[in-house]
Amino acid sequence: MLSFTSQRLLVAFSVALTVSIVAFVLLHLSGDLATAIAGPEATVAQVAEIRHQFGLDRPITAQYFDWLWHALHFDFGNSFYYRDTVVSLVVSRLPVTLTLGAISLALSLVVAVPLGVLAAVYSDTIIDRLALGFCVLGQAVPTFCLGLVLIIVFAVQLRWLPVSGTASWKNYILPSIALGWYAVPAVMRLSRNGMLEVLSSDYIRTARAKGLQPSVVILKHALRNAIIPVVALAAVQFGFMLGGSIVIEAVFNMQGLGYLAWEAIARNDFPVVQAVVLILAVIYVALTFLADVANAFLDPRIRLA
Amino acid sequence: MKRFRSGLAGFLAAIAVAGTSGAAVAGKSNDTLVYASDSEPENVSPYHNNLREGVIIARHVFDNLIYRDPKTGKYAPQLATNWKWVDTTTLDLTIRSGVTFHNGDPLTADDVVFTLNYVVNPDSKVITKQNVNWIKSAEKIGNDGVRIHLAGPFPAAIEYLAGPIPIYPEKYFKKVGLDGFAKAPIGSGPYKVTAVTPGKGVTMEKNTNYWKGSPLGQPSIGKLVFRVIPDAETRLAELMTGGVDWIWRVSKDQATQLKSAPNITVLSAETMRVGFLQFNAVGSSPAAVPFKDVRVRQAVAYAIDRKSMRDNLVGGGARIMNSACFIDQFGCTDDGVPRYDYNPAKAKELLKEAGYPNGFKTELYAYREREYAEAVIGYLRAVGIDAHLNYLKYAAMRDAHRAGKTPITFQTWGSFSVADASAFTGVWFKGDADDSSHDAEVQKLLKNADTSVDTEERLKTYQQALKMIAEKAYLFPLFSYPANYAFTNDLAFTGESDELPRFYAAHWK
Amino acid sequence: MNVTAPAGTDAATDALREAAAARPTLRTAFLRRSLRHSGLVIGSVTLLVIVAVALAAPLLAPHDPYAQDLAHRLIPPIWQANGTWDHVLGTDKLGRDYLTRLMYGARISLLIGALTVLISGTIGTSLGICAGYFGGRVDSVLSYIVTTRLALPVVLVALASAALVGSSLEGVIVVLGLLLWDRFAVVTRSSTQQIARTDYVAAARAIGCSTPRILVSEILPNILSALIVVATLEMAHAILLEAALSFLGLGVQPPLPSWGLMISEGKQYMFFSPWVIGVPAAALVCLVLAINLVGDGLRDVTAPENRG
Repeated sequence: MLSFTSQRLLVAFSVALTVSIVAFVLLHLSGDLATAIAGPEATVAQVAEIRHQFGLDRPITAQYFDWLWHALHFDFGNSFYYRDTVVSLVVSRLPVTLTLGAISLALSLVVAVPLGVLAAVYSDTIIDRLALGFCVLGQAVPTFCLGLVLIIVFAVQLRWLPVSGTASWKNYILPSIALGWYAVPAVMRLSRNGMLEVLSSDYIRTARAKGLQPSVVILKHALRNAIIPVVALAAVQFGFMLGGSIVIEAVFNMQGLGYLAWEAIARNDFPVVQAVVLILAVIYVALTFLADVANAFLDPRIRLA
Repeated sequence: MKRFRSGLAGFLAAIAVAGTSGAAVAGKSNDTLVYASDSEPENVSPYHNNLREGVIIARHVFDNLIYRDPKTGKYAPQLATNWKWVDTTTLDLTIRSGVTFHNGDPLTADDVVFTLNYVVNPDSKVITKQNVNWIKSAEKIGNDGVRIHLAGPFPAAIEYLAGPIPIYPEKYFKKVGLDGFAKAPIGSGPYKVTAVTPGKGVTMEKNTNYWKGSPLGQPSIGKLVFRVIPDAETRLAELMTGGVDWIWRVSKDQATQLKSAPNITVLSAETMRVGFLQFNAVGSSPAAVPFKDVRVRQAVAYAIDRKSMRDNLVGGGARIMNSACFIDQFGCTDDGVPRYDYNPAKAKELLKEAGYPNGFKTELYAYREREYAEAVIGYLRAVGIDAHLNYLKYAAMRDAHRAGKTPITFQTWGSFSVADASAFTGVWFKGDADDSSHDAEVQKLLKNADTSVDTEERLKTYQQALKMIAEKAYLFPLFSYPANYAFTNDLAFTGESDELPRFYAAHWK
Repeated sequence: MNVTAPAGTDAATDALREAAAARPTLRTAFLRRSLRHSGLVIGSVTLLVIVAVALAAPLLAPHDPYAQDLAHRLIPPIWQANGTWDHVLGTDKLGRDYLTRLMYGARISLLIGALTVLISGTIGTSLGICAGYFGGRVDSVLSYIVTTRLALPVVLVALASAALVGSSLEGVIVVLGLLLWDRFAVVTRSSTQQIARTDYVAAARAIGCSTPRILVSEILPNILSALIVVATLEMAHAILLEAALSFLGLGVQPPLPSWGLMISEGKQYMFFSPWVIGVPAAALVCLVLAINLVGDGLRDVTAPENRG
């Protein structure tokens, strides 16, 4: 277990390092940083001075390690647009995205797992087909379209929920549905397949043979085992949701991390973009690492494989 | 580590905020006017942004030296009780006593001197240079007098002092610096800023100690909330559902449709804002090379049906413009200025003469009213010019433009509500960052016009300059912009033609 | 069961098992199963119709997709009170014929889907075959690259890259192609592992076939059915992503008639004239649904016991 964990930790660490290189390259491809920092009206001499002052005239590898060192200390420099540090911008926006992601994940699990279980229990019946059909249809609807439909119906027509912003918990309901929708098909398929597998296993057959109530068998014995892979997938989906929330945040005008990155891209504010890419990637790496370890802990076959 | 810990504390605080419910709602019931607009000033310090949203905040939070009545155009005392020209380059003002800033510090002649000297200092990195570069320096005379030394004769000085030149608190500004000021600005105006949240907006509160007798009057509404909502549809939806109380820049189509909505008032008025195409006449990027040729620029002008755009897309009280300024500004005229009426055949002919019989590929940059830009692209396409749209945030477009990367830019300019042609031509043609033609002759004419003390002479020189600009088609004016305001029926609000919503004068019904 | 492996892996292995079976009967059985699979039939027919319309757009379309007529803007579609037969689906905000733009928009969506898959498929398949065939260290490197790729938030990186290379049709295709190869790599890898162990590969190796030859002529044909399944799913993915990028303003640029762009521009009218946004949105959903049905259907008929 320990060697498995340390091996996974090493992978996670090196992936994070590689991503940091990608993020660094992203910033440097965005144009001449010295010109960007100096502003549009700076003279050539001022730009040169800034280039020197910020160490942008040094070799690229030296700049990278310097940047990495600062990044490890949560210092991503200043935004080109706002008169603020990148870190304080990110810190003020992260809670919105995390809250949104968490609610979306919870919503999608609440819908998808029972649906998957139902589909497995009644496999090859009309229920199963409807559930799968729902998934296929769900995958075909772009999240932003769903978001717009939700706004039109629930915010503008029915007036049940607010249109945009992050002012209260009510603001999170519609965006969470739109974002959670995206994860439903994957989770549903996985819990259905897991359930099918478990239901056909020996010990369930034994339990059934002992004459236990079918609902007891399903809920108490089968579900517990079928849910293990879903836990891992949920962690991964959470990572995807944080990355994918950019579209939803744009539709619902929520000032989260994705929205910040989107605006920063449109304003050529690449220090912010870079930091957001890196932070989302590191969160994803951490989540998959935890999921791997948790999975291995729950299912000994994995760590031996 | 310290940075991390403070970051963590902020993070936890933000989570706590995200978790709480019952945020401020808009409306009469809690005396909070929520107004929404598309763009957000990068810095709320009025000299460090050139967005209209920034101008609105400036007029609510700060006081000017002189007041200009939007109805009559007459000047009246504001912070300056009187003013006097000593000679054509020296202006003396007396500063009112008894006015205090929001933090309780008294506003004195020192603050005025500090502000004026601060904004002309190149180190201050002022964005709105054209508004202040007529000032050379300021000095204090006596106890409450201020003497402004001009860089040269500048008859429009009073108009500028009555507009984009708000007064800063010297002591506070020196203490917090520009970065601190950007987060918590302090002025002496009818509203005080309570919070600046990047990406979200600005909240303001009534200044209950606002000085008596101000020409602005006493504010009535308790709280103002400026919400940044880039999306026009979201703004509309928020207005319809009561999430915000006031929006503007409602498109013609939406304004028409909104008129049938209950509880919402739609108000249309012409503004000083002019939409225009600016050409990169020096050809400083590969895609801009064709625009070095005056015939190509003229071809573009002939290719566009402004009347159809005005009638079908813009609507409201918009007027077609022929000169590079707003027609009602002092000095602005289209007498003797060539017109480019819609004539695609002539456009094609000119392109052929210029050596582009099959047109060419280029790029058009724009930042607002995307459908106007797309209509222009459609017209260009019809004469063979294949233009692709680059739709950017204003700051990004401005930077690309100032760096000379944009072949054609769809610009709009509201002249900072200054009713003088110099506020328009000065920005786009006097060799500063936004000038993309760099024509020495035009620059010389404008310099003479701006500094001429003889009114007749001024008008004549402006006319010459405007004629030359139009002949060489450096800038193709399209039309003035109507302001379509839409707001809740609970609000008593009047729009002025200078495109400056005055919430301090608004009240609940 | 490997949890993080994307869907399709099992289908791939089963496809292989079948490939080993007698070939002539396989084909007829495949056809019979395909025709009985209603999802596959509906999906294929819809997809074929869309492809046909896209290809024949210049012949079928009633107008020029770029011809604007400001005097005839926002004409409602035929089923509404003021609709005219001249503009069956009405006109957009610049008076361009909506049906025509929809037809040409299908070209853009399909082009983006197909070219993206071509790029990402080439990258993913090459990486996957190498990793599966050589195993060992090569395999570790691949799984590391895939993990890194998965760690990057796709939409955000695509947006940022599109902004850097300048948002254009070509730019979007290249960016998406370079980002969406992970599933190809994973599926190809596991399929290749299975085949590399079979007798005929061993035989090919024994008679002295070169490694590239084995990879191209023995392994590639045998993982093709699995690849096609992945390709359809990724095509749908790419089309949706393009729509999202265009919606956020950093995808295809006007005046090109992309469906994502049409939705984005129709947003302005969504409260009062919902058809402006509804028409392209419905088209987009139909296309993605059709592709997904084909993908799922192919998976089912190549591996019926692994439905789901």
